[in-house]
Amino acid sequence: MKRDKKITKLAKKLVELSKDNGVVTEAKVGEVLAGLKQAKHSQHLAVLKAFHRYLRREVALQTAVVATPGTLSDAALKQIEANFTKIYGRPITAVTTLDASLIAGVRVRVGDDVYDASVAGRLQRLAENVH
Amino acid sequence: MKALFITLLIALSLPLGLIAADSASAISDIGENVHEAADHFKAEVEHIGDNVQKEQNKLTMITEKFGVSVPTLVAQMINFIIVALLLYKFAVKPVAATLDERQQQIADGLQYAEEMKAQLAAAERERAEKIKEAAAEAQRILTESREQSKVMIEQKTQEAATQAEAIIRKAGEVTERDRKTMLAEVRQEVARLVVATSAKVLSRDLSDVEKDNFSESAAKELASASN
Repeated sequence: MKRDKKITKLAKKLVELSKDNGVVTEAKVGEVLAGLKQAKHSQHLAVLKAFHRYLRREVALQTAVVATPGTLSDAALKQIEANFTKIYGRPITAVTTLDASLIAGVRVRVGDDVYDASVAGRLQRLAENVH
Repeated sequence: MKALFITLLIALSLPLGLIAADSASAISDIGENVHEAADHFKAEVEHIGDNVQKEQNKLTMITEKFGVSVPTLVAQMINFIIVALLLYKFAVKPVAATLDERQQQIADGLQYAEEMKAQLAAAERERAEKIKEAAAEAQRILTESREQSKVMIEQKTQEAATQAEAIIRKAGEVTERDRKTMLAEVRQEVARLVVATSAKVLSRDLSDVEKDNFSESAAKELASASN
């Protein structure tokens, strides 16, 4: 248990080292992995797994996944990035995914938070409110 | 009984004793008279000596004629007394004791019978009182039982009415709840069907341009929202 806490603490520290101005960058991650390879930690596999888990969480927190059934203009994406950066107080990068089940509109997911402005979501909420 | 035997013995021995005593006293009186007459009338004795001698001879003749002898009479009286004492000691006394004992037993038996009779009467009275008390107690218990049964019937009737009301109320509540549940399920099902139908209709009827326009406006809506 004590060793897991040490590994967790080390992984969180490595994630912090992977940020450049509060944003996780590929270059920084590469440097951290190179340093980890040179350090030859006795529990390197466990450290890598924990680092990967916390890195994915950090990337998810810094990414706004915008789902849409069609195409979305760059201007709209920029506006979304700016708005969520302002809301969360950290740099947010927007990426788009196709989801035809939404019918129309967008659904944005930042970490565990979901913002739904799709027709399917509105219909679903309408059905849930009818009791 | 003992006294009876003693009296009988005395009564039997008395005549013989009297006879002997009379005879002896008569003989001694006559002898004394003869001697006194002989002393006082010594002179006359000579005259009437023959007559006195005749009288003495006459007395002797009488005693001899009847066979009365003082020693024999005394011995017979002593024998009779001894026999009477022996009879009293070995026959009359045990018999009298046995008779007294029997009499005492009979008296005790009679007393016991009297006591038993009194006890029986007392027991009979007690039994009658007990029966009377038991009858009164039974009547009281019967009355109390009737009252209790009456109260219990009223209580049970009231409880049954209360339970019936509760059951009816509960059944009404269950029916109302089932009705509401059914209505909610129907609403949900209708809503689901409406939503599904609307989704299919919108997916089919909305053009790609319209979808993109809606998406753009939704994106702007999210972009302008301040959480």
